[in-house]
Amino acid sequence: MAESYDLIVVGAGPGGSIAAKTAAESGMKVLLLERSRTPGEKNVSGFGLTSKAYRDFPWLKKMELPSMRVCRKCVGHFLSPPPELDERVCLYSGPSRRISYPEGREFFTVMMLRREFDEYLAGEAVSAGAELRTLSLVTGLVRESGRVAGVLLEGGDEFRAPVVIGADGALSAVARLAGIREKWRPDEVVSVCCIDYSASRERLDWVIDDAAFHGFFGPGIGGNYFMCMAEGVHLGGPGVGNSLVSRLNRRRIKPARELLDTIKAPSCRNLLKAVDAVPREWQAHLLPWLDRMPTNIFGPGVMLVGDAAGLPEPIWAEGVWQAMYSGRLAAEVALEAVDEKDASHASMRRYLERLEKSPVGRDFIGGTQMRNLFELLGDERFFGELTEMAVDLFVAMFMNGQEVHSEAMARFLPILAENLPVLMEVGRIYAPVLLEAYSGAVRDKLQLLKGLGAIFSGMAGTAQGGGKGGSQPGGEAS
Amino acid sequence: MSDEVVRIDRFSLVDITPATRDFIRVDPQKCTGCGACVVICPMDLWKMREGRACLAEDYRSKCMECGSCFIACEYAALDFSYPPAGEGISYRYA
Repeated sequence: MAESYDLIVVGAGPGGSIAAKTAAESGMKVLLLERSRTPGEKNVSGFGLTSKAYRDFPWLKKMELPSMRVCRKCVGHFLSPPPELDERVCLYSGPSRRISYPEGREFFTVMMLRREFDEYLAGEAVSAGAELRTLSLVTGLVRESGRVAGVLLEGGDEFRAPVVIGADGALSAVARLAGIREKWRPDEVVSVCCIDYSASRERLDWVIDDAAFHGFFGPGIGGNYFMCMAEGVHLGGPGVGNSLVSRLNRRRIKPARELLDTIKAPSCRNLLKAVDAVPREWQAHLLPWLDRMPTNIFGPGVMLVGDAAGLPEPIWAEGVWQAMYSGRLAAEVALEAVDEKDASHASMRRYLERLEKSPVGRDFIGGTQMRNLFELLGDERFFGELTEMAVDLFVAMFMNGQEVHSEAMARFLPILAENLPVLMEVGRIYAPVLLEAYSGAVRDKLQLLKGLGAIFSGMAGTAQGGGKGGSQPGGEAS
Repeated sequence: MSDEVVRIDRFSLVDITPATRDFIRVDPQKCTGCGACVVICPMDLWKMREGRACLAEDYRSKCMECGSCFIACEYAALDFSYPPAGEGISYRYA
């Protein structure tokens, strides 16, 4: 006889554990399944928990893990094309004072190991009353009158529940078994390699301190980064281009090769040397990187969260906060479904509707342009010129000791004029993002202008003694 | 100064419990020899042999389960599922 639960969550990563915790706290009987020996053992990411997570899950503030390092400054290294990879601009910055919530104004992320974090969250789920079962690989789903009604494990164990949450990552078995998605298209994912280094805590405190994120951008290199934890440095990134397709069809460069090329940049290599970095682990993972919010993320009796749903955001492919947020939403919908004894397609649809309206869904506004930014990061014509323009404008004008100051400053307009093509390229990317974000508001304003226009032309018409012509546009506007 | 930071021996930097059954399958009838799996594998476990993709015999003790080959194959010639629970890659510093 199969054991019964109110909710089964497959995968004890951040999405699964938050779903299990939320549901268990509401009094549901929850089973949390994990294929590895300990939660976090199989999960890779160059991981900084963003301030958003501390805003939305305030209880995280009590979490203390040995690998933690707070990132209060981010550093962008803008490099010249290979083989020199010379540093042309370095942007070193704390968070903007205009961020809308206090945690966001204080820090960017807290860097830590997923191995520690995932274990911590799974512990939170267990403390809330969820039953964690490790060494459990889901190989089948139980179906009942067209609905998912439980899971089958390799080895034959069967568990039943009216709702199953698939939190089993980019290669979700639940998505596949439920018939939601066979697999991602190559242009929907990115393959990321990482090298983890051990490093001296003392040196990291001197050299890095709280500037724990360093991104390396430039023609032929763009998009790789390293992030520093308490006693380690993690180098990773999607490299140039933004999907398996761009890699396979256009560049045919191996992701491993790209990552190793980044270390050849003197600014990257020297930082690693300065903190006594020694390679200790080679890692690889695949992540969904969509430009539009996916809608195929639920079915009767089943919901997908986190990477399984394809929720990493379109610029940086950040996915942990998204997994946690969607995990909590899915658990709330599961609770309603169990209370109402209705886990139908229509009932599960509430999950998608709420997710679309949430910050996770809204982060996909203008997503197509944002994701394509990464294509431009590898483009010498675009990115090289933008970097050099920044040097021309700021360094040559204000930090100039080589020439007469007034003459250097007089170059401002010619520099802008000379770089009109590249500035227009920036506008071409930026405008559609704004248009999409504010299209509703813009439509309302246009409607208002049209209305005002009608009134004015009506007045003009009256003044001219006509009046007839003025009534027409007014009619259109209503 | 030594350049240890740029010399990476990938195979010595992973901890893998060899899987006790196969978890990647290739259908030679469907393989077109496009080579996508060869390009994308982070461990270089794929080779081209007689115009067809060929997986390393010892992949069960070297594969990192990223699934990139499975997604990269546009001809459904390649199937991937997870190895048995508790087997395969184990990350200590991820």
